[in-house]
Amino acid sequence: MDREEEGRRYLEQHKIPELFHNLSALLLYHRPEKPREFLIQSLEKIKLARMTNDYPYLMDESNLNAMFDMLDTAGQGYITLPQYKGALQSMGLNTDDIMYLDTDTITSDVFKEDVMKKFAAMWASF
Amino acid sequence: MDATSGPHQIPPAMALYAEKHRIFELMQTLMEALLIYRPADPVDFLIEHLQKGRDEVPRVLVLGPPASGKTTISRWICKHLSATYLCPQDLAEDRKLKKSKEALSCLSRQGAIPDELWVTLLEERLSAQDCVRLGWVLDGFPETRNQALLLQEKGIAPRHVVVLYAPDTVLVERNLGKLLDPFTHEVYHATFDWPVDFMVQRRLVAPEGISEQDTAGRLLESHRNIPGILQAYSGNHKAINADQPCVDVFAQALHFVQSRPLSKAPFLPRVLLLGPPGSGKRLQAALLAQRYGLVSLRLGDLLREKVADRSPLGELIRPSLETSYPVSDNVVLRVLRDRLNQPDCLSRGWVLHGFPRDVDQAAAMKHTGFEPNRVFFLNLPVEVAVQRVCQRATDPVSGERYHSTFKPPTDTEVNQRLRQNPRDQPGRVEVKVDLYNQQVRELEEFYEDGIPLNADQDPYTIFEHIESCLVKPLPASRH
Repeated sequence: MDREEEGRRYLEQHKIPELFHNLSALLLYHRPEKPREFLIQSLEKIKLARMTNDYPYLMDESNLNAMFDMLDTAGQGYITLPQYKGALQSMGLNTDDIMYLDTDTITSDVFKEDVMKKFAAMWASF
Repeated sequence: MDATSGPHQIPPAMALYAEKHRIFELMQTLMEALLIYRPADPVDFLIEHLQKGRDEVPRVLVLGPPASGKTTISRWICKHLSATYLCPQDLAEDRKLKKSKEALSCLSRQGAIPDELWVTLLEERLSAQDCVRLGWVLDGFPETRNQALLLQEKGIAPRHVVVLYAPDTVLVERNLGKLLDPFTHEVYHATFDWPVDFMVQRRLVAPEGISEQDTAGRLLESHRNIPGILQAYSGNHKAINADQPCVDVFAQALHFVQSRPLSKAPFLPRVLLLGPPGSGKRLQAALLAQRYGLVSLRLGDLLREKVADRSPLGELIRPSLETSYPVSDNVVLRVLRDRLNQPDCLSRGWVLHGFPRDVDQAAAMKHTGFEPNRVFFLNLPVEVAVQRVCQRATDPVSGERYHSTFKPPTDTEVNQRLRQNPRDQPGRVEVKVDLYNQQVRELEEFYEDGIPLNADQDPYTIFEHIESCLVKPLPASRH
């Protein structure tokens, strides 16, 4: 196996691109004066969270509410599956294991719960 | 429309932050380290790597044939950048290293240390605190391609490789007069570099193996090996002619060591052109706008636009423009901020000229959150500026611009109807140049990374220089 392939496989196996995606997002969102120290803290948090499940979330409930409201412009109380998928993708979450049907509608509570679950699963995999 | 799908509008503050703190490069070095070492637990590894500290420390190889001045240059670089000096001889004799006994026994038995042992010694030495924190300069290693490849396998990668070269005759002659100070290991030369200190003069000895035959043999060997080594460092080596005064060689080497590699980080040029009237700011801005799609902004034009708008802000500016009295800084900054916040400036980058005129304005601009990332000083002697500006004339019929020396009209009819702008009178231009020259010193201090240019050249030569500075990352700062 050539070295490049080996490297790619390593990155994939340890989910490095997702990790870096999230770390950069954290950095750009908080914009700390000392990025190195901030990264160390975030990584320490991830390590600690393997036991406590307290991940350095970029999104809290109010953000998710705001996001949901943006999607649900008519105020119907639910969003459609393509919207749901798009939302997950733009947050960098994987959309492979969605169990809903094309005609299903997703309510605000389900949306929030799913997103939090997916975030937790992603952080735990690092 | 689905508000969550792209293209997203990224807040400009994020891009500025990423550029200022070099987030892209930071992430890149982390990714590189992960790929080189492939640790089982990346999170732990990253924490450790980040705690180790700076990525920007010098990691330099100095290579070259014997007597090309490797040691002198390496020592000077170390002194200047306070890095750690390493050379194979010291490594073999360093008793703190685990494998030093093996190395010493090799030396005493057969006289040569195997490549693997060299690399292990070096790896251990490089992981020591002083090398990690301050950086290192390695003098005269690797000597063969095999050693270079072994270094690569261990993940030891220099950031810069300085290669010295000189004609063989020069090197042989240099080596003949070589003298060594047995206490400090400094190298001197009987004709070219005689020590000043009397004590040092007395204890100098001629090192072994400097006869013409020996040198020729080693030269041949190095000529055989160096091309192979350089293949391993194809992207980051620079050849420097060593047959020059030491200071010149050092200056070139230092400039190279402080340069940063081209980066793939997203880069939005925010250019400031400063210069006296007639230095070609407007032309260079137009060329930049044409070549890179930057938004060319001239402060005077912005102010006049506002006045033409008949906006409330314009009414504030109108009296100043009519009396040619300077517009107050507050108003100017508001105009500038409004313009630079427009989406075209945010997405394409900008090139600004005619502002700032003094340090206060520059500081105010920085305070408003608009910092240029390249500043060019177009320097021009007063006489040339006056000559360039005062002989300008415009044809009122066609709008074409002429210059009585550089671009005279061919048609006599045109020549007769040429008009000169009253602002181009010699007295007025000299006042403006004087004003600029009074402020430029302080501005140069304010913009430490500013790039001085000689504006008394062909405009396209200047443009090429500006382009090259735009593409290259700024050199690492000295503090």
